[in-house]
Amino acid sequence: MATALATAAARRAGPGLAVTADAGRIARAAHAMAARFQRGGRLLTFGIGLAAADAAHVAVEFAHPAMAGRRALPAIPLAADACALTASGGNGSGPLTAQLRMLGRPHDIALGILGPGRPDGDVPAALAAAREIGMLTVALATGEHADRDPREDGTDPARASASPGTAATPLAAHLLAARSGDPLIVREIHLTIAHLLWELVHAFMEQPDLLVVEAPR
Amino acid sequence: MTAHPGAGPDAPPGAPGLHPFPGSGETGLDGALATAARLVEEKAKEIMSLRERVLERFADRLLPCAAAMAAAFRGGGRLFAFGTGGCGADAQAVAHLFRSGGRGLPALRLPTDVAYVTALGGGAGRVFARQIAALGAPGDIAVALATCDTGDVGEGLAEARHRGMVTVGIAGPGGERMAEGGVVDHLFVVPSSSVHRVQEAQATICHVLWELVHRAMG
Repeated sequence: MATALATAAARRAGPGLAVTADAGRIARAAHAMAARFQRGGRLLTFGIGLAAADAAHVAVEFAHPAMAGRRALPAIPLAADACALTASGGNGSGPLTAQLRMLGRPHDIALGILGPGRPDGDVPAALAAAREIGMLTVALATGEHADRDPREDGTDPARASASPGTAATPLAAHLLAARSGDPLIVREIHLTIAHLLWELVHAFMEQPDLLVVEAPR
Repeated sequence: MTAHPGAGPDAPPGAPGLHPFPGSGETGLDGALATAARLVEEKAKEIMSLRERVLERFADRLLPCAAAMAAAFRGGGRLFAFGTGGCGADAQAVAHLFRSGGRGLPALRLPTDVAYVTALGGGAGRVFARQIAALGAPGDIAVALATCDTGDVGEGLAEARHRGMVTVGIAGPGGERMAEGGVVDHLFVVPSSSVHRVQEAQATICHVLWELVHRAMG
């Protein structure tokens, strides 16, 4: 038992440090989110299993700021309604995708949370639906997701020999990865990234003149 | 989480903009993005060191807590998790983890359905206490999460103690208050003035407890 405690901190060091390597990515995602909020967009959050709890946490974070002086921003957790969650989505789509299609508007933000080593459920489909609508898509995902996502130059590592013209579709416009295979450590990193997004969104919104410019990729 | 006027996570009220560091040569959006990235690096390191400190500081208390929880589960006890605001979502994660991870132990968060909450939440500060009174039994476990506003949560723990449940409190600064009257068997107070870092360290404490409970159960 004591050994488990001794390794608990050590196991978290690498993934924790990896967040610093993604600092620029996190900053760009927050900037893009701030621009959407500035234009009246809302945040729709979702995940399955453990990540559904974190999606709820992120939504309440934005809607009810912990810090005095910060404005409340509209955020909706898609898993809050048991009726919607247990109803069939229709057209074969999952309950998250069905709700997203129903509630999402082009200027909104979709934030999907995906853990490691388990099925992603309809989170990728919901993100794809969000992109189709024109929403900004943000994924809190894992190293596995990042490694199989199409690269930013449009090439697809999973389909290196794919015929030219086969457009690879990324999971989200902003993929922020927790670099661990342990779902619990991933969850801890996601919480930190979500808190940082919240803090930076508010900081960017203090400078609206920066929100009309698109950040470099 | 609930609002904590004057006890915000990291900065004084009135969000500072992301102004470039003087002399950095960066201006406009580039400068703001660079400043934002530096802030990310700083906070990411802050939680790393807090996490290490917390695990070290609580080592002697995490083991007996896990042993008591394991004994309760062996005796047929169920775990009830609860908390306010963001901590309410984190309580949901705790319940899901115990229920779905490893050997699958009986765990639930206190009901959050609006019908249930508004029906039982009529008395100020008593929403969790009333739910515990309705659902809890001797030998069950109460796990409460709070950052610094511990009123409702403290009442819930007091009710759980009164019913002969194992009580676990995971809090931020000021969390000692929830332990007044000896209602918390196992108290963990995360030493950080940032609500965000507190919640992140609380998640680690819950995850490590879950792991230790499984080891204790063999």
